[in-house]
Amino acid sequence: MCGIHELTEKDLQPLTYTPAYLDKIKGMRFFDPHVHMTSRTTDDYQAMADAGVVALIEPAFWLGQPRTGVDTFRDYFNSILGWERFRASQFGIKHYCTIGLNSKEANNEALAEAVMEILPQFIYKEGVVGVGEIGFDDQTPLEEKYYRAQLELAKEAGLPVQIHTPHRDKKKGTQRSMDIAIEHGLAPHMVIVDHNNEETVKEVLDRGFWAAFTIYPFTKMGNERMVEIVKQYGSERIMVNSAADWGISDPLAVPKTAALMHESGIDLNDIHLVTYINAVKAFAQSGQINEADFDLAGNIDQREKFNGSTVLRGGQQPRINKNTTIIR
Amino acid sequence: MAEYVYDRQQMSEGLAAIIAGNSSDAAREWLQQRLQKAASIPQFNQTFTAVPRFTGKNIIVVSPEQAAVLQQQVPGFFVHGWTLDRLIRAWWLLQLDTSDKAVYLDTIEKLFLSAEMNELAALYSALPLLAWPEEWKLRTAEGVRSNIGVVQEAIMLQNPYPARYLDEPAWNQLVMKAIFTDKPLHLISGLDERRNTALAAILTDFAHERWAAGRKVSPMQWRLLTTFITADNMADLTRVWHSADQTEKAAAALVFANTDYAPAKTLLASDPALTAEIQSGALSWDVIAAKLSQN
Repeated sequence: MCGIHELTEKDLQPLTYTPAYLDKIKGMRFFDPHVHMTSRTTDDYQAMADAGVVALIEPAFWLGQPRTGVDTFRDYFNSILGWERFRASQFGIKHYCTIGLNSKEANNEALAEAVMEILPQFIYKEGVVGVGEIGFDDQTPLEEKYYRAQLELAKEAGLPVQIHTPHRDKKKGTQRSMDIAIEHGLAPHMVIVDHNNEETVKEVLDRGFWAAFTIYPFTKMGNERMVEIVKQYGSERIMVNSAADWGISDPLAVPKTAALMHESGIDLNDIHLVTYINAVKAFAQSGQINEADFDLAGNIDQREKFNGSTVLRGGQQPRINKNTTIIR
Repeated sequence: MAEYVYDRQQMSEGLAAIIAGNSSDAAREWLQQRLQKAASIPQFNQTFTAVPRFTGKNIIVVSPEQAAVLQQQVPGFFVHGWTLDRLIRAWWLLQLDTSDKAVYLDTIEKLFLSAEMNELAALYSALPLLAWPEEWKLRTAEGVRSNIGVVQEAIMLQNPYPARYLDEPAWNQLVMKAIFTDKPLHLISGLDERRNTALAAILTDFAHERWAAGRKVSPMQWRLLTTFITADNMADLTRVWHSADQTEKAAAALVFANTDYAPAKTLLASDPALTAEIQSGALSWDVIAAKLSQN
């Protein structure tokens, strides 16, 4: 960040080195509706921008170890609304987030109460496109209590809900999540059920909910399986995300899956729906997504004019040719 | 100390007039409704946060007369180029009750603590309007440490608060951070008025560091050495004067034109063409700033 550099438009152009799969998706644009960029490096933003990711959603989640106080939640929410959003903008990526108390940490009741108190201050903030990710992890009574309380918050604010479904006893957890959402008066079209698999997809779609799939090695969905799911269920109300976080995961999961779908003969329009349009539609119900903003974010020159000065250049990082061993 | 260093009523009305000319009926109606609940702190906070959802973020249009009303109250206070939500947030802050100073300070501080980028930008650009202005010095210095461009800009550029209230080390930190992050220095309010010896020394050190690394030094930074030329830094300015880069040479010339230091005057006199350009006004810091922004 430090130092004066002569940054030109040329520095902001994609790198000349192009992995093979990028050829297959050249010119396509992607929306990753679930990715924890706070755990990723700036290089990932650069790679995502090069692969055509124009916008993403960062759901509030667990940082890998329990937080000990409400202040660290506040700082975390601030960082995904602030620093992360700014960092993304440096690569022309529009960054949104969902805000919520995650299911794991709902089990610390005293802390959960304190977090619930500050949530209303955050869910109305700009670019908050939903309450999430919330739902069940261990399916405990406390998880249910705070899931329900947050559904009420979402309903009052008119925001979509992004549901995390559990790793263990997934099918039952998914069903319960949907039942409870309905019980609280949320319309299925306002609920995005995430981390689906072959076992859960049919019911989620049949009941009118959005079915999101996380391409995540070893634990969730592989993209060859994802291709089969789109072949079988089509592209309506289905969306793909990376949920990339601090684990072994891939922030390029959405563009890579699009490339694989293309290779497997899936129609370009269907690919566009499951890797871009559907997610935009679902979360635009928050009133916080305007696709025109993606273009504005992507065209840095235009944005400078929009702000009436050249100041955006200030924080921008020069792009670096990573194929060279020289570091300047 | 007085709560406000200007007439709050007139400023509030001045801002309201600009809001009226830039917002929809629905947005104004919403604000009226919210105004009735402004006495409740949670409702006050929620309104501050929710503003863009109900008002949009169009760039506002300000007439010269409207701008003059604001200037009359707080010299150097600009809203030109702001978005409507930022303007409304600044106006909204003026609606907070000041009868209890502790509550007022606590409320504003908490808004800072849970603010996202655009809220932070609004809060920092409203610094010249806040009650008890002396109380926001630490907060401003904290804001200067931000990594987020829009937040830095809200504090650094066209904002009269820092020059008026920051102490010298904090002011110098602001200027250095602006240089580090490539901000247009000429837009810093009070830049020339708050030049100081310490800053001049920091800047020459910084230039040595950049040169040693084979990097460039912004021509604009030499402006801050005007009236602080000594035998020590004259060597650096001489180097800039002899630069092959015409903009760098022009910057040195401008510094020399405004100093009484004899060796500098002699150097400048050796280039009559450049001297004439400065005298005619064809060369100024604004001209250099414009050139740099084109690069």
